[in-house]
This record gives sequence, C-alpha cells and structure tokens, in this order.
Amino acid sequence: MRSKAIIGIAALALTISACGSKGDAGSSAEDSGTLTLGASMSLTGSLAREGALTKEGYDVCAKVVNDKGGVPVGGKKVKLQIQYQDDTSKPDTAAQLVDQFNDKGVKLILGPYGSATTEAAAAVIERNGQVMADSAGADDKIFQKGYKRTFAVLSPANQYASVMLEAIADLAKPKPTTVAFVSADDGFSKTVTKAGVAKAQSLGFQVVGEEYVPNGTSDVSSALTKIKGKNPQVIVGSVHLAEGVAIVKQAKELGITPQIFAETVAPPTPDFAKTLTTSAEGVLGSTQWTSKTSGSDKWLGSAQDYAATFAKQFNNREPEYHGAEATAACLAFVLAVEKAGSTDPNKVRDALAGLDEQTFFGPLKFNDKGQNVTKKMAVIQIQGGKPVAVWPTDSSQASMKFPGAGAA
Amino acid sequence: MSQFLQATLYGLLQGCIFGLVAVGFSLVWGVMNVVNLAHGAFVLSGAYVAYELNDLVGLDPFLGMVPAALVLFAAGYLLQRGLVNLVVNAPIFITLLLTFGLELLVVNGLLLVFTADYRSIPTSYAADSLVLPGDVRLPYGRLIAAIAAVLLTLALSMFVRRTRTGVAILATGMDRGAARLMGISARHVYALTFGIAAALAGAAGAAVGAVTTFSPADAGRYTLFSFIAAVLGGLGNTYGALLGGLVLGLFQAWGGQLLPGTLVNAIAFGVLVVVLALRPQGLAGRAFYASRVEI
Repeated sequence: MRSKAIIGIAALALTISACGSKGDAGSSAEDSGTLTLGASMSLTGSLAREGALTKEGYDVCAKVVNDKGGVPVGGKKVKLQIQYQDDTSKPDTAAQLVDQFNDKGVKLILGPYGSATTEAAAAVIERNGQVMADSAGADDKIFQKGYKRTFAVLSPANQYASVMLEAIADLAKPKPTTVAFVSADDGFSKTVTKAGVAKAQSLGFQVVGEEYVPNGTSDVSSALTKIKGKNPQVIVGSVHLAEGVAIVKQAKELGITPQIFAETVAPPTPDFAKTLTTSAEGVLGSTQWTSKTSGSDKWLGSAQDYAATFAKQFNNREPEYHGAEATAACLAFVLAVEKAGSTDPNKVRDALAGLDEQTFFGPLKFNDKGQNVTKKMAVIQIQGGKPVAVWPTDSSQASMKFPGAGAA
Repeated sequence: MSQFLQATLYGLLQGCIFGLVAVGFSLVWGVMNVVNLAHGAFVLSGAYVAYELNDLVGLDPFLGMVPAALVLFAAGYLLQRGLVNLVVNAPIFITLLLTFGLELLVVNGLLLVFTADYRSIPTSYAADSLVLPGDVRLPYGRLIAAIAAVLLTLALSMFVRRTRTGVAILATGMDRGAARLMGISARHVYALTFGIAAALAGAAGAAVGAVTTFSPADAGRYTLFSFIAAVLGGLGNTYGALLGGLVLGLFQAWGGQLLPGTLVNAIAFGVLVVVLALRPQGLAGRAFYASRVEI
C-alpha cells in the first residue's frame, strides 16, 4: 500500500515536471475521458460482510452509467471508474487511504462502510478540499462538526429506531405499552438508542430498560437477564448483525417473549433470516431502502428497475439497502458532475449542496450539514423468511403481523 | 433472586464453552511452550466443517464434533510436523510470529471460501430450554456443549495419565531433554499434541457453531478468550482451562448484572490481573510450567 503511494507520488511528480506546469491529475477528466472516484472500503476485517455489499452497490452504479455511455460533463461523456483500497475496517486506515487518493489527485471520494470509518475520512476530506458522497455513515456526530464537503445520501441515525416505534404505534393493535432497548456501545448505535428512547416516550410508550452491550458481541445474555423481570412488550435492538442475531437467539434460550422484536440494521441483511431460520419470523427492521421506495431517475429508473438491474449483475440476488445506498451515493456524484458541467471538486461540492432530485433511492436533497433529511426510512418485517416492506403503508408489500415474535 | 440464579447458571454454561474452546490451547502451551495464536482460527475451521456437513447431509452439529475433530487432528498433526517443528526450539517470539501468520492465512482462506457471512448451524432444539423453578431457563444447546466440555476434559485427563502415549506427552512437556534420553520421539509427540489440541478446537467449533453465530472475523476473539482461560486456570493441568473458563464465565455473568454491560472485557482482564498478582501460576497451574526454561 505504502509503496503504491510512493510510486503514485513519484509518477505525479514526473508528470508535473514533464508538463512544466502545476498539473492536477484529478481535474483532467475531460481530457482523459474517465472520471475517477476513490473508495476506501472494508474489504477485510470485522465489517467485511457489509463492505462487500457496499462495493456491489458502487459497481452497479459504474456499470449502469458506463453502459449508457458515461457521465455527461460539459457536452462530452466520460467513463466512470472507481478505485478501491482495503481499509481493513479500521478508521485510521480509511483516513490514510483518503489522503493517498488526494496525493494521486483523486478528489471525489465515495464513502467507506460504517460511521466510524466515515467520521475519520470526513476530517481528511475537509482538510484536503476533497468531496465525499457518504453511503453508510449515518451517525449524527459526523454532521455536527461543521463539515462542508461530506454529503450523506442516507437518512440520519436518529431515524433508525424511531421509524419502527412509529410503525408499531401506528399499526399494532392493541398498542403495546412497554419498550426495552438493547444497544451496542458504538457511537452510531448509541445515537440511535438515545433518539429512539426520546421517540418512544413522545409516542406514549413506557421505557422499562436501556441496556448496552459491547459492539460486535455474540453474547447479550447479561442485558437480556436484566430486562427479563420487567416483561417488555417490545424489545428494540440498536445493533448490527451479530448482536441482532444474539438478541433473538438468547431471548428464546432465556424464555423472554416480547410481543415483537424490532432491530435496526440486522433484519434487512440476508444473513439474518438465514441464520435464525424460524426464530426470525415477525422481527421488524428499519431500512434505508426497499424495492417499493417511491421515486425514479433517468440512470437507474425506479426502485423496481434497480432491483432488476442488480439481480442481472449478481446472479439473480435481490438487492438490499447496503447496495442501494452505495449506488445512490455514486449516483449523487454523477448527477452533481452533470449539473456542474465540471469535475472540479469545488464546483461538484456546490452542485451537491444544491441538489434536489428524485431517484430510485427516494429524494436526494441535503441540508446545510450535508444530511439527507427529506428521505424517509422504511420498516420491514421478516415474513416467510424474507424481509417485506410493511411501513409506511403507502409503499408497503404486506401488512404488519402483530404480535410478531414467538412464531416458533 | 431468580435473575441472579439465571445469570449464574448462564455464566457457568458460558464458562464451560470457554473451557472447551481453551483446553487445546492450554495443552499446546503447557507441553510445547508455544502460544498458538492460530487457535481461534482452528476453532472456526471446526465450525465450518460441522456447518458444511450439516448443510450437505444434515448431520447434527453435536455429532458433527467428531468429524470436525478428525479433520482438524489431521491438519494439526501435519502442520506441526511440517511447519511448527521447524521453529519449536526458537525463542517464543518466533513461534508467536509463525502462529500469527498461520492465523492470518487460515482466516483469509476461510473468508475466500466461505465469505464473511455470519452463520449458525441450525438445530430444532438448541435454543429451546428446560424451565427450572423461578422461570430460570437451562438452554439445551448450551447444556449439551457444557457436558461435552466436561467429558472431553475428563477424557483428555485420563488419556495423559493412563496411556503410554499420554505419559510421553506429559514427560516431554516436563523435560524434553530427559524424555528424549528415554527414547521418546519428541517430534512425533509434539505433532500428536498439536493434533489433539487442534481436534479439541475443531470439536469446540462445532459446538460453538450450534449455539451462537460465527464468521471468520471471530477468530481473534476465540484466541483471546482461550488465552485468558488458560492463564487463569494455569498450565500443566488438563482441567486448568475448564476451571479458568468457568471463572471467566461466572465473573462475566455477575459483572454483567452489577456493572454496565459494556465492561465485560474489562471484567475479564481485571480478574486475570488479580489472579496473576496473587497466584502467578494460575488457579490450578503448576509453578514449574510458568518458570520453565527450554533446553
């Protein structure tokens, strides 16, 4: 990695001296016919699974755009190329890689997977005058530092638990009254939980427990034992896949039977239902995107069209939201470059800031912090081993089953 | 009260699983003075063997402990004979490097073959539980894993005390030079030890795969827990790892009830520090093993 960077710098130095002018490899896209985006990605390490899903989304975007001739930049069409580097799921490595992209003149950066890596990368982006389209960093903390060059296509962290509570308050009959939260202890999950607790109280639920477990653990028995005596009717998990599976599995072992489980990012991932088989039935999850999401754009069409495109590229697999949000981040760049008529990072940044487009992912419109607050999240429920959209009801695939837990 | 009982019971079951995972690690360390950083990767390999057998022919994961152990035994024996034996006399730093490299190789191999997907071996009964008075639950899957841990530890104890091969392993662990003079082939004994340890790791992997989720990225965590359990229990005894595992499981469970749940690793290492300060050779360990110098 290091030697590559050195070679890159050496090559850059040679080009500069050969031209005899202060060249900038990144902005010469119009001449070379390619637009290069850099992506530091969790290809190995603890987030390798989600990293792979995100990379697939970026690849779909590149293929679709190039199949249609490329990105229109000021009357010409340039090919889209994405360079990946493995950040091994570590924030400091992600920051270094973004810096290396800058050294190579790559100014437009697609976000890494996860809030921690995105937060580390965002600081470097700001310093270097690069621009980042964030596809998977939802923690509100990233957007409270006054950064002007990071734009997140996804709904912010405070939505993740809140939408599920809204769905339950809206659809569950009779409406449950007690809620307990089990949360991982990373920044993103904690933000989700804090916002969720506030939302639950404002919706009239009684919050009977708020327990934290180590990020990535597969043993949540302590937290569950603590909330068992309080008999919560709803258990909300602000978790990733490992902890999410553990909550359902160990609740069964420990004889904890809420009316419904609601977990943030775990249920929409295909592994969730596969790992838990019948115990997964009825679990609610929140998602950034479903194939019923309304809106469409000229590159990818509607959400349905996107699902078809994705399936064609990846062995008939159905897309889930990690891929969709990645494609949306890449799409944001494509739309912004077209609108700016230039690949100059400052012009692209201004175009992103003023973007207001309907896409297959829903609306892409950023507030002054760079968050996409116009877009609504959706709620899915595992029914028949598959996640199906149940809320908001105007873009749902099936009605919510309640009580949902205890299917086994 | 039933909350405390539940936590205690669950902690003991969890402790048995830690013990099962750690017993092979402790054996290799005690006999060969090799801290096998690839141990967690062996555990996961066992889990994947059991997963594949379950997927292909529907073999129950707890029965799958046997083939997983056999496959890992063969792999462990060959690895030791062909690779680790080259550096077994070298300073511990070299063996650490080698086993660390091995871990990276195995984990990335698993990533390539099985991807980073989270998996669990499905059974119809593992998540069901026996209801005890006070609504305290005893989950079947963990109970079977705990019984397997105790039985395997007992079997290993019998093996090293009652058979010629076992005594040869103990003897080589105590004094390699003297064992050689008595006509024991250290190379073979070491390979056998490493094979048995890998087999135990494989069996543990199959059991772990049935009660919890696993993915290649978990290798480091299993090695870490093995390390803590082995040091807590002490080297030189086959049941040291089980004892260490039980202590670790109990303290995690109790700590989890009294303190915020995010402190479990702090609790684990806290217990380790206290035990090491008071009893440097571990709870059941022999001081000889802690201070031994290889010749």
